[in-house]
Amino acid sequence: MKGKIVVITSGKGGVGKTTATASIGSALALEGNRVLLVDMDIGLRNLDVVMGLENRIVFNIVDIVKGKCKIGQAAIKDRRIDNLFLIPASQSDNKDVITPEEMIRLAEKLREEFDFILMDCPAGIEKGFENAVVAADEAVVICAPEVSSIRDADRIIGLLFSKSITPKLVVNRIVPEMVERGDMLSHEDVVDVLSIDLIGLVEMDDQVVVSANMGTPPVLQKNSKAGGAFRRIAMRLNGNEDLPLVVPQVPNRFWKKLGRKIGLGK
Amino acid sequence: MLNGIFRKIIGKGGDSSKDVAKKRLKFALVYDRLDVSDDVLEDLQRDIVEVISRYFEIDKDGLSLDIRESGDLSALVLNTPILSKRRDTS
Ligand SMILES: Nc1ncnc2c1ncn2[C@@H]1O[C@H](COP(=O)(O)OP(=O)(O)OP(=O)(O)O)[C@@H](O)[C@H]1O
Ligand SMILES: [Mg+2]
Repeated sequence: MKGKIVVITSGKGGVGKTTATASIGSALALEGNRVLLVDMDIGLRNLDVVMGLENRIVFNIVDIVKGKCKIGQAAIKDRRIDNLFLIPASQSDNKDVITPEEMIRLAEKLREEFDFILMDCPAGIEKGFENAVVAADEAVVICAPEVSSIRDADRIIGLLFSKSITPKLVVNRIVPEMVERGDMLSHEDVVDVLSIDLIGLVEMDDQVVVSANMGTPPVLQKNSKAGGAFRRIAMRLNGNEDLPLVVPQVPNRFWKKLGRKIGLGK
Repeated sequence: MLNGIFRKIIGKGGDSSKDVAKKRLKFALVYDRLDVSDDVLEDLQRDIVEVISRYFEIDKDGLSLDIRESGDLSALVLNTPILSKRRDTS
């Protein structure tokens, strides 16, 4: 097996890297791939709680790199989805306990065991970013339609290009009503500014917070619009590149009003 | 979207907030992407002064080098008072 390492990154914090890693990884596994999620946010681990696997942690990424355990001992197997594994970050170390050389060596081993290895990158452009990116074959940049997020994404994109990686873009946290009003940059605006290819559009979805509460990735949640969007991103990463983009739409007001009239919904 | 088009047709209300955002972004990114350090700008300025000085006598202290927005583009703007033309020395 010769798997692919995909880093999920953003520059700015809190735009949805961990959410995306959990969702895209789960979706890839549901499609039959052998998938490993790696939390590279050393010191601020979160992927474990988003995945609902926090109670099963024994070893972490630093233990593996430092030879304290084998990959198989640290990788937690998900019980809901076949072929899905998580290597958690260490909570008590600094981001620089791991060196890029150690990551490259580890990556070689991981590629032998998994089809997809998703690296959940920490915010920022320092050592943690370096470690998450150094062995990556592909990159997905997550960006919210806001000035600061786009600016940071641009910086990250520049850094990725300098490492010969051509990243793909996910615009997350889209609010269609605001886009329609002209109070939020549309995905076209974002692409116009960043000039890289889109791989998905994800709208702001309350279900994401509900999923995080429950520790179930949004792709497992029925009727989650964000979950659907992440599933399509996974399909595109999995080789289905021509799958058309679905642009988040304002819910149809007519039906909503009618629904209200006849006493359905709020 | 319709809303935006409508606003443009009747020309009321000026730019929407996202238009402002986009303009600001584009400008901010020009600086970011250039990624020029102060050192580079200083070196550039020194070299430019040297070249211009071959042709004109200029006030080196009155010289300014800037990156400015001009329309949709960003321009490198050099401003220097010329004191006099250099005499031909040949
Ligand atoms: N599409 C979405 N709709 C609603 N909420 C979202 C969406 N995407 C992310 N969020 C919420 O935004 C918050 C930040 O998301 P997340 O933790 O995935 O970001 P991050 O980029 O990993 O952050 P950090 O930089 O701190 O690691 C979370 O509370 C998450 O539930
Ligand atoms: Mg995170």
